[in-house]
Formats: sequence, C-alpha cells, structure tokens
Amino acid sequence: MSMALCRGDVECMDPEERTQRQLEGLQSTLNRAFKNVPFYRNRFQERGIDVASIESLEDLARLPFTERRHLSDHYPYGLFAVPLRDIVRIHTAPGSTALNPTVSGYTRGDLALWKEMVARALGASGVTASDILQIHLDTGLANWARDYKDGAESMEAGVVPLTFLPLEKQLMVLRDYKTSVLITTPSAALQLVRVLFESEVNPNALNLETLVLVGETADDKTRAYLEERLHVKTWVHYGLSEVPGPALAFECESKQGLHVSEDHFYPEIVNPLTGDPLGEGEEGELILTSLTTRAFPLLRFRTGDRARFLPGACPHGCTLRRLAWLPGRTDRLVVLRGVKLHHRQVLTLLERALGFEPSHCRFSIRRRRGADFLEVRLGVDDRIFSDEIKGLERWVRDLGVELTQELGVPVAIQLQEKASFASPEGEAGLEDRRGEDEEAG
Amino acid sequence: MLRIRNLKCYYGRIQAIKGVTLSVRQGELVALMGANGAGKSTLLQAVSGLSPQWEGEVLFEGRSLKGLSPPAIVRRGVSLTPEGRMLFPPMTVLDNLKLGAYLRYRRKEHRSVEGDLERVWKLFPVLGERRLQPAGTLSGGEQQMLAIGRALMARPKLLLLDEPSMGLAPLLVKRILETLVRLKEEGLTLLLVEQNARAALQIADRGYVLETGRVVLSGAAGDLLADQDVKRAYLGKDYREFAEGRG
Repeated sequence: MSMALCRGDVECMDPEERTQRQLEGLQSTLNRAFKNVPFYRNRFQERGIDVASIESLEDLARLPFTERRHLSDHYPYGLFAVPLRDIVRIHTAPGSTALNPTVSGYTRGDLALWKEMVARALGASGVTASDILQIHLDTGLANWARDYKDGAESMEAGVVPLTFLPLEKQLMVLRDYKTSVLITTPSAALQLVRVLFESEVNPNALNLETLVLVGETADDKTRAYLEERLHVKTWVHYGLSEVPGPALAFECESKQGLHVSEDHFYPEIVNPLTGDPLGEGEEGELILTSLTTRAFPLLRFRTGDRARFLPGACPHGCTLRRLAWLPGRTDRLVVLRGVKLHHRQVLTLLERALGFEPSHCRFSIRRRRGADFLEVRLGVDDRIFSDEIKGLERWVRDLGVELTQELGVPVAIQLQEKASFASPEGEAGLEDRRGEDEEAG
Repeated sequence: MLRIRNLKCYYGRIQAIKGVTLSVRQGELVALMGANGAGKSTLLQAVSGLSPQWEGEVLFEGRSLKGLSPPAIVRRGVSLTPEGRMLFPPMTVLDNLKLGAYLRYRRKEHRSVEGDLERVWKLFPVLGERRLQPAGTLSGGEQQMLAIGRALMARPKLLLLDEPSMGLAPLLVKRILETLVRLKEEGLTLLLVEQNARAALQIADRGYVLETGRVVLSGAAGDLLADQDVKRAYLGKDYREFAEGRG
C-alpha cells in the first residue's frame, strides 16, 4: 500500500483544478499584498503593474523578484500584511547579508497551515503516530525545529524537541529514548555516525528507522553511507531557513524528486542571470510565491537554491510538481550545517565583536572529525596582540562563542601571523575547504 | 462545476468586478461574502446572464456561458434566487412555482414537474398549506422559501442564491440555511452570496471574501470563520447580535 501520500484530494488533484486553485490563491495574495504592504504596493506601482492584469500563473513572471536583502531591509515588521495583533508567532533568522536579522510573522491560521504542511511531509516519509521524533539542528535552524515539533505533534507522534545538547548527550537521547525518526542535516548526521562509532555504540542498539535530512542537499553516496551505517531509510525535505519554513518540498515513497507543496507555494525555475523563466528539465534558480499564508506574503522570492523540474508523473499518483534539488547555489551564500552564510555578514559581525575593522582576515568552512564549522582566521596586530597568553586565549574563546551565538553555527577562531596572509582583503569570500580537510583525513 | 477566471464586470462605466477568479466544485456549498458594493450580486448576475457586459471566462461544466441568454443558462442547469425574491405578488404560490418550471412545460415535462412540486411541498410544508394564496400575502420568510422553491422547479444543478437571509428574523434565517444544507445533502451545488458572513460560513464548505471587486481572501469555511480579518470586517455586527441574545 502506498504510504501517506495521496491521502486527500489535495495531493492527487487534477492539474486543471490545481491551476484554478493556484490562480485563486495567487490573485488574492496579490490583492492583499498590494493593499497591506507598502513595499509591494510601491514596487508594483513603480513598474506600472496593475494587480488585476495578472490573469494567469504565467503572468506572475511579470512581477519583480523579492530578494533576501529586502527581508532584512524591512526589519522587523515591514513586510507583514496583517495587523500585529493578529500575529501569534514571530520568528527571527540571521540575515544573510546585512546586520538586520530576518523577521517573519505567523497568524494562528498560518501556524495551522505549517503544521499541516510539515505533517504531510513527515507522513510522506513514513512517519506515524507511533514514532518518536528527535530534532537535532543547530541554533541557526531553531525555527524549523519548532515547525517540525508542531507538525509531528499534530500527527500525535512523540517529539523530543530541540535542545542544544552536546553530541554525546544527543546520542544518549537517541539510544535511551528509543528515537525512531531523526530530523537533522546531512552534515550533522555524518558527524553523528562518527561519534556513534567512536563511542562504541552499535547501531543495533538504536531504534532509529527514519532519517529526515534537511537544510542541505545530500548526494546518493552520502545517503547510501548513512543508510548503511545507521540501518535507516533517508528522506530529503527542502525548506527555507529565513522565511517561511521547512518542508516546502519533500520526497514521497518513490524518492524520485521532491514534491513541492504547490497548493501553498507556487514554484518557478528561472535563469539566475537573466531572471527569465526556464522550461521543464532546465536547471536554474528556484523562485517561490506564497498562495495561502496570511501574515507574510512572499512574492517571487529568490531562494538562491538550484533546482530543475522533473517531467512526467510520480509513480505514486501524487500530482504535486516534482523538482530535483541540486547542490550549490546561484548566489554567494555558503550553506553550513543548513544555515546560510555570506562573507560580508560574517565580516560585519566580526567587526562589531572586535570593535574595529580587522586588517587581515579569512573565512572558510572546514570539516574536522566529521564536524563542519566556520573557521575565522585573524591576522595578529597590535590591537589584538597581548603578551599575556591566558588573556589572549580567553579573548579568542569569547570571540568564538559570540560569533557562534550570532550565526547559529559553530565558529572557531585562529590567530595567524599577518605575514601569512597573501592579501589583506577577504576577497576570497567564504571558502569551502571541506574537501581539503577530508582528503587530509 | 463552475469555474470563473478573471471576471470583470461593468455597471455603465464603473467597473464593479475587477478580475475575480473563483470556482465551485460539484456538491459544494460555497459562500461569497463582502460588504455592500463589493460586487457580489453583480457576479451572480453575470453568471446567470442578467448582466451581459462582462469580460473573462465563466465555464459551467467545462463550457462557456458567454453570450448565452438567461433562459439558455437556466437550461444548462444554473438557477438564481435573486435578491429581494422578485416574486409575482398577485399570483398564487402554486403559479409562482409553476413559472419556475416554465422551460420544462415547453418541453412537455408536465409529469416530472408535478413530482417536483411535491418535493417543494415536502421541503417547505407551509407553502403547500398556502398553495392557493397570493404570493404577496406571505411573510418575508415564506416568500424567501417560495423564491428558492421556484428556482428549484427548473431542476438546477447549480443554485445561485443572492442574500436569502436579507430582512429575515434570526429564527427564519436559521430555517432557510437548514434548507440549503438539506439541498446540498441531496446533491445540489450551491453558490451563496451573503452579507451575514457568520451564518453563511457556518453552513459553507469554502468561502471567498470580496472587497471592492477583488477577492482578498479565500479558504475553507472553518478557517475563514476563525480569521481575524473576517471577524473584524464581516462578523462584527453578528457579534453584537449574539451579545444581545438575538443569535
């Protein structure tokens, strides 16, 4: 029997009916955004776009994109489309390029919608009421953890909510609490496998059956490795960490691409350079438009994620459109443990923590003992140098802690001779050096 | 069953509907809400062929209703219970109902019309009791029942209702709404225009909220009932009524 998917009429809706519903959702979303959000209203008016002229889903391509920086620019509530008193939850995510974080709001109805969407995605991953879920994510993805908790609880599954425990403690919970479903990022899962074997825990001691991988793409090799090491089935969910939430697209039993919850979010794939819509099968940037959410309408949001639509029907009869989520990004963001980072954002935070502009610095993503982290290398100068080694060590540690808190991912600070930097400017941006680290063992 | 895309309607030079997309599926009861002048009645008139000045697409069972006369639309299976009932006051209840079956008499369906009269008497026993009374002597609630009965006499697949609760006491509103639920259970598809949003949403499957000729909200009836915007804009009056114990 086919699992969970095609439960109702929504997953298996006739495409013509789906288009009608999407157009209805799109038009009412546009009307609300135009009426209630000055940012959208002005952008439409500046371009002479009459909302009523968007008469088909294809017409959507005439609207301008919303970019990550717009979310930070309108900090905190500038993009909300309902009065604040209707908001029942406020999520904060690190901003990607500016200092301002991204703030998104949810009405009571929105929360119910997310519950439904997360529950649908979990259901498609074979999760049922008899499962025990554990959520293991970095603080940068704390919002997702809440959504997963709510969604799983609404299915009456048992949930061990996100707590920021050391890995050894996570492992203890995993084993002792008989966790059957673990929600985590591929990189954290790899690290877990390593620690599991190092601490001599046999995977047979675990009840784990399902691994839901979020935040990063996972290649077949990694999935096969995790499945083999942990004796589990893996499932991939796609989501957005800033707004609006996790599980926007999810795998069904056939595992042939991710079904987009297109009853709530309309997907487009465009050429990242020209912004032109691309045809089925062509690789490009994924663009998302909300069709049903109330508090935070999102119109043509540039996700920066690479994807392509998969042609043909899903063998399980689900008519929600499928996409292949591809590794890499169309922007300069780097994804670390599911959290998106931009070198300028790291630099700004570093300057603020230091109280001055560092003369020499480099940022790179590293992997040590299976664990990914952000390495900040700082050139030592008079402002940093102290002849008291203990004081310097403490200073380095404090700086690391501060950046870790700000970014929501582990940060390690390395002090280095100024002379060892080829050039002072961090022009290299954010280097991904995980490959080198792996080769070095 | 009914699929409307980008409907634009004009009242002379005024655009009353500015691009509305909505749909009613077979067996559904859908509520269309909005304040006075939002364009609700105009939309029903466009669908039933009473206001020919419209642009866009109106499909009933996959076929366009564009350019069809009101009788042709009734023949397709769409009937309207107009706002203000529009009965023929000097004529008897029975004759008003028979007028509703006018097209069927022309098709020599006398016998099945008789059967449908029985159905109306069953649905609204009070009309049966007063079948020979002039329609003008009925109470407001009874007149509304008669207007619905008359629309049913055309054996519609889709019934459009324009403000059936208007001017009625709460108890009668309840009666009328219960009848609509019963009709839905019997397989009829209904599109209900109402200012009384609370009442409409309590019996509807889904709803749309119109504002100055545009849809600003749509969704499951339960979600809309709980929606803060809907509460503020359309349920306020009803809340007061409830507080005063008139609900």
